[in-house]
Parts: sequence; structure tokens; C-alpha cells
Amino acid sequence: MNYLASFGLQILVMVALAPLVNGIIKKVKAFSQKRKGPPLLQLYYDLWKLFKKDTVVSETTSWIFRITPYIVAGAVVLAALLVPVNLNLPSFHFAGDVILVIYLLGMARFFMVLSGLDSGSTFGGMGSSREVMISVLLEPSLLISMFTIGLIAGSTSVYSMMISSAGTGFLLFQPVYLLLFLAVFIILIAETSRIPVDDPATHLELTMVHEAMILEYSGKHLALMEWAACIKQLIFITLLANIFLPLESFLAFASPNSTLMSSLLLYLAKVIFIAVLVAVTEISTVKLRLFSVPNLAALSFILAFLGFFQYLLVGR
Amino acid sequence: MSSQNFLDLLKQRFPGEIHRSALINDNELYVEIYQEKVPELSRFLVEEKSCALVSLFAADERANPSGCFAIYYVFGVTGANLFIVFKTLIPETKPVFQSIACHIPAAQLYEREIQDLFGLEPQGHPDPRRFALHNNWPPGVYPMRRDFDGRQKPPFVVTEKADQFTRVQGAGVYEIPVGPVHAGIIEPGHFRFSVAGEPIINLEAQLFYVTKGIEKLCEGQSIEKCFYFAERISGDETFANSLAYCQAIEKIAGIIPPERANFSRVIFAEQERLVSHLGDLAGICVDIAHGFGASQFRMLRGWTYQMIEEVSNSRFLRSVNKPGGLRKDFITGNEKRILEYLNRIRKELTETRNIIKSNSLFADRVEHTGILSNQIAKDLNVVGPAGRASGVHKDLRKDHPYSAYGKLSFDIPRHQNGDVNCRYQVKLEECFISMDLIIQSLEAMPPGKVREPVTEVEAYRFALGYSEAPRGENIHWIMTGPDNTVYRYKVRTPSFCNWPALCHAVKGNVVPDFPLINKSFNLSYAGNDL
Repeated sequence: MNYLASFGLQILVMVALAPLVNGIIKKVKAFSQKRKGPPLLQLYYDLWKLFKKDTVVSETTSWIFRITPYIVAGAVVLAALLVPVNLNLPSFHFAGDVILVIYLLGMARFFMVLSGLDSGSTFGGMGSSREVMISVLLEPSLLISMFTIGLIAGSTSVYSMMISSAGTGFLLFQPVYLLLFLAVFIILIAETSRIPVDDPATHLELTMVHEAMILEYSGKHLALMEWAACIKQLIFITLLANIFLPLESFLAFASPNSTLMSSLLLYLAKVIFIAVLVAVTEISTVKLRLFSVPNLAALSFILAFLGFFQYLLVGR
Repeated sequence: MSSQNFLDLLKQRFPGEIHRSALINDNELYVEIYQEKVPELSRFLVEEKSCALVSLFAADERANPSGCFAIYYVFGVTGANLFIVFKTLIPETKPVFQSIACHIPAAQLYEREIQDLFGLEPQGHPDPRRFALHNNWPPGVYPMRRDFDGRQKPPFVVTEKADQFTRVQGAGVYEIPVGPVHAGIIEPGHFRFSVAGEPIINLEAQLFYVTKGIEKLCEGQSIEKCFYFAERISGDETFANSLAYCQAIEKIAGIIPPERANFSRVIFAEQERLVSHLGDLAGICVDIAHGFGASQFRMLRGWTYQMIEEVSNSRFLRSVNKPGGLRKDFITGNEKRILEYLNRIRKELTETRNIIKSNSLFADRVEHTGILSNQIAKDLNVVGPAGRASGVHKDLRKDHPYSAYGKLSFDIPRHQNGDVNCRYQVKLEECFISMDLIIQSLEAMPPGKVREPVTEVEAYRFALGYSEAPRGENIHWIMTGPDNTVYRYKVRTPSFCNWPALCHAVKGNVVPDFPLINKSFNLSYAGNDL
């Protein structure tokens, strides 16, 4: 396959599919409450609406506030390039790209935190301080998880990690992978501002984390921020789906000449599966007290560390 | 203890201080005393006889023979169906009175309100800042004096000190201003948090953004018209307020409503409580992001609204009451429908309660959050579910039975810890009790007419009307004027008592827990601002 084409397809899938995941999660949640819920494509309509609207920028803000949406969206899309949705799409990979992914997302967050402070509003500052607290606690856990998988794969490239897990059947039966899966799943929940860490649906400014930081944004800026948030969510889901649920071998077993189309469908199925998992987590938990969030981060860290330790001692 | 015993006790303890006394409307003992003696006698009642200050208000009676302002102190006697009302006269030439707030904290806000609205200065008040009027109201203009024209709009004063909040100082302490316009569709109120990081050191609420001047509007209006003002004090307590108003008018007119009306009133009052509590329970679930619980309670609330609408044709129970009884017999023919609804609601509510009970994360969020200590609850005379969750087990339906409550058997929830969990449990238990009371009333109510017409009321007579609203005790006091009009109408809703309690309950909690604590109290802004 042409290098450029796979490059384009990778971007297209990540950017275009991302808002759908939110729709799926909302549908499942609505179902649990005997509601119909908003249409699956609601976030697309919302983004479309926001892109057409004017952007209002507070006079008290600096250039940081105006530049942040572009930096955030740019960094997140760049990170999305580095997480292949499929083995057939080896878009862009090199040794150490997983570290780049983590720190591209880190840079996006850094600017988001700055912009929350920049507007000088009450809630932005609160959101920024909470976001920093949570992310500082999560970062070690994410790094350990990724390095452990890197150790197993013998490479720090996401693509190589995928290849290493692809040949091995149902990975979650192996304790290392199960522990790391749970650790990264907790990170996914926390990084994407979901219950029990944050409530994406709340209108209460005093309880917000992510929403409080982007409270002052409107119009196109807001659309970029929202879109970037759901692409970031899809990046984590893709990592989970492709490293921990490498069902391609089953697909190959069913039809030896697995085409691009069927493997993309498989990817979609895995994304939906994880989205449903996220929704079930949201349904069955309540938002934690802010100062209980470190416990959750600690749990993720312990799981990741146990996985790492177990691999060092006994191997997979 | 009977009223005569109490009077004897007071006369014996304070010889020569009581000029006049009268027992009216069976359980209101009016005692006229000198203004200087009020602190002493009040402390005796509150500290030694465990009475509670339930209302404190002034009336402009300069046109009356006395030619003075009058201040009334209403005390509810614990353990007896009796109210003791101290009346004291304040001459216009010396508009000051002795503050009792230092010893009876519950009096603080009433005295500040009197200072703002009547221009009578409470001497020795620990915190004499403005309260009911904001700083942009011109000084020296007292809206509740009878010579102030309610239709006039005083000029907007721009002052240097735009706010007058208590400053907390120290390293890392900062203030968070929230409101008066909020993100949700709720009423306006300004909250000023002083925080060190996330923990809240101090919270002050500035209310009275939706002051409608109901007490002023009612002055001089006919009793029929005032009924509609009473209904509109607070949207979700329509029936509780109209009931308190009607009872006061009925006492003044010397009318006893027919039994069927009394039982019907219980049914409607409990339906209103059910709606309000289910809404609060849903709110608590929303604020901790428990989507399932929220949608279940909201659905049940919807069903209750449907029941109310089918029975009374008004979801908010407007124009159901009427002085003397009910507007018409709403219950006849609807008994079966009410029972069916209640069965459905009870079944679903039981199931929801059990599912939520098994969620340990839910328990973790609500337990030990927003604790209101028993001492503060007692001192501030916290009423209703918030009080019953903090060990103040008062309920007008039990302590001073009105309508048909004396003939029904029920118990009130008694909790001690005063956290969000206790308030949640009290409200949940009261939902079941309300449904029981409705069923009991349906069985016990006799046939017959539902209204005794009120034709004429005597001028310058007064009475207390009270009801247990969903949020707590609701005390109205009415003095009639000539030609079937209202001369002075004082409304004290439960929200007025409980707002300061909220500010105490959040101290020491983290900022993101405030909405949850606030929702567990669920106070009315309109009911406070009047």
C-alpha cells in the first residue's frame, strides 16, 4: 500500500471516528436510564454548529488563550498519527514514538492548563489546578505500563508493540497484560474526564475539572478543544484495543487474506467494545470525592507496577 | 404544660414585668412586656424551658392607639402545643431595641431584617450589617414602614463598599465569587467562598435578589387577594404556604373547616412533600453523577406530578385551597386513581432505594459530607428534614397538629449525624411516610362538604398560621385591617431558618462538594427573599 494513502487513511479514521465514540457512550448511558438519548452523531452536529459560530475572546486574556486551541488540536492530531489503528496501516513509526505520544498529549495539556489560568476566571484556575494534580499522579503509571509492553515487544514503537502482541492469541489471559490493561483503562477514564474522576455532563462549575478549563472558550475555539478531547480519547482507546485485544489472528484464521476493510471493521468493533466498557464504568460508579482521585491513580500505578514486576520475575 | 402554668411561671419568675397577657386561638399566649426585659425573658424561655425562637418580626402600628412600632417574638414550646408571643412596643422617637442575638443566635437574621425594613436598630447586635437590602438601596429608606409607598422606586445608590463580606486572611487564602447567575436553571444567589486550596474556610451567602415585596404588597389588600400572593411565595411550596395562610384567616374568622377539607388538605400537602423530596433525591444523585438514581427519582417525581394534575388540574396545586376549606371536592371519584399511582410509586421507589443502597461508592460520597452539628442546628433553629437529620426532631405535624394530622398515626424520621447521608435518608423515609398518610387520609375521610364560607373578618385581630412545608416549618402571622383586608402579613418560610445552617455545614469540606451539600438542603431563594 502506498505510504501516503495509509498516512491519510490513519488520520481520517482517527479524526472522523473520534466524535462517534462519545455518541456510543452517551447512547449506552441513556439506555441504562430508560431514555432514548441524543442521536449517535450529535457531537458531529454540535461541532458543525460551533465551527459556524463566532468566537468570543475575553479582553483580559493574552495570546496564550488564543493560540491554545490550535496547539492542542495540532498536538493531539500529531499524536493520533503515531498510534496506528491497524497493522495494515503502518503510517508513521520509529523507535520511541510511544514516548512522543505521551508527551505530545502532555504538551496539549500544558497549554490547556495555561489557558485555564490565562482567562483569570474563578473556575478556570480551579480546573487547571485540579487537572495538574490528577495528571501528575497518572503519568508514572502510564509510563510504566508502556515501558513494560515495550520491554516485552523489545521496542518503544507503538507499531512494534502491536506486531508483538498480534501473534499471541487472547492476551488478557496472561497476567501481565491483564494487569496492564486495567492500569491503562483507569488512565483512559481519568484522562478523558469520565466518571468517577470527572463528570462530562455536569453543569456545576464548582465540581468541574476538564470543563472548567475550557469554560471561557466559544465558537471555533471551543469546537477545536472539544474535538481534540475526543481524539485524545480515541488515542487511548486505540492503544487499549490494538495492544491488549489483538484479535487479528482470529480474523486471519477466519479469512486468510484479511483485507484492509475487514480489519478496519474489526478495529471498529473493538472501539465499540471499549466504549461500552467505559459507559458501563460510568453507569456503575459515582463521581469520587476530589481527594479520593489519588487513590484511583495509586491503584492504576500499583497495577502497572505489579505487571512490570511480574514480567521481570517470571516473564509473560 | 398548659398556657396557664406557663403564664404563672413567668409571673412568678419575673414579678411585675408582664403588663398584659391573653390566650387566643387556643394555643397562642400573647404576653406584653417592656422592651428592656425582652433579653432576660427570652433567655429564660430558650435556655431553661427549651423553647425555640420560631419567628421575630416588627409591625408598624403607629396608626394604632399605641402610636408605636411593635416587635413580636414568637417562641414554640417543646413538648406542648403552645406558642408564646412576646409583644413589645418601640416608640418612633427612640427607634432602638435590645438585641437578643448574642444569646439566641437564631434571632440574628430576624433582627437584621427588622433593622433594614423598619429602621429599628438592634442594640448590641454582634453583626449589624445590611441583610435584606443590598448596599445599593438608599440609606434611611425603610420599605416596610407604612408611610413608604410600595409602588415607588427609590434611586439606585452607588457605594464604595460594593460588598461587605467577611475577609479571611492568610497565606494561600483566596476568595471564590459564585453567582448570582448560575450555570443551571436555578434562582439567583451570590456565594462568597474563602478557601485555602480546596477546603472551604468560610462561606457567606448574599440573597434577596428576587425580593418581590410580598409582605408589603399584601398590606391593605383584601383577604381573598392576599391568598393568591401567599400561594406564590415559593413555587414548589404553593400548598404549604396557602395552607398556613388559610389557617390563620380561619382562626381569625372563627371558622373550623369541615373534616373532609382537613383530610383533603393532608392529602395535598403530602403530595407536595412527595414531589419536593423526590426532586431533592434526584438532585443529590445528579450532583454525584449517579445517573441511574437521578433518572429513577425524576421519573417518580414525574408520576407524582401526573397524579397531582389528574386530581387537582394543577401541577403546582394552585387554587386548590381556599380560606375555609377547599375550592371544591377534588378527592371524590379520584380515590382509586391516587391509590394506583401510590402503589406504582412505592414499588419503584423501594426498588430504587435498594439498588442505591448496594452502591458503596454512593455511600462513600454522602457519608460524613457536609456535617451540620446538633449544637448549631439547635442554636440556629434549623427546621424540617435538615433539622431531623441533625438531631432536632421537630415537626409541626407532630408538635402542633393542624388539619387532620392529630387523627393520623405516623412517626417522623430521627437521625443524628447531620451529614448528607442523613438528609438523604430523612427525605427518603418521609416519602414513604407521606404515602402512608395519604392512604390513611383516604380511608379516614368522612363525606360531606369541603368548605365553610369565610364572609367577614373582624379588624385588628391576629393569628398564627402554620404548616410543615417540605423544607420545614412554615410560620405565617396575620393581622387583619378594616373591611376584610390584611394589615400586616409576616411570612417566615423554612428556607429563612436554614440558609445560615448551609453556610455552617460546608465549612471544612472541599469546594467540589458544595453543590452536593447545597442540594441536600435544597433551600428556596424565592421563599427566603419574599
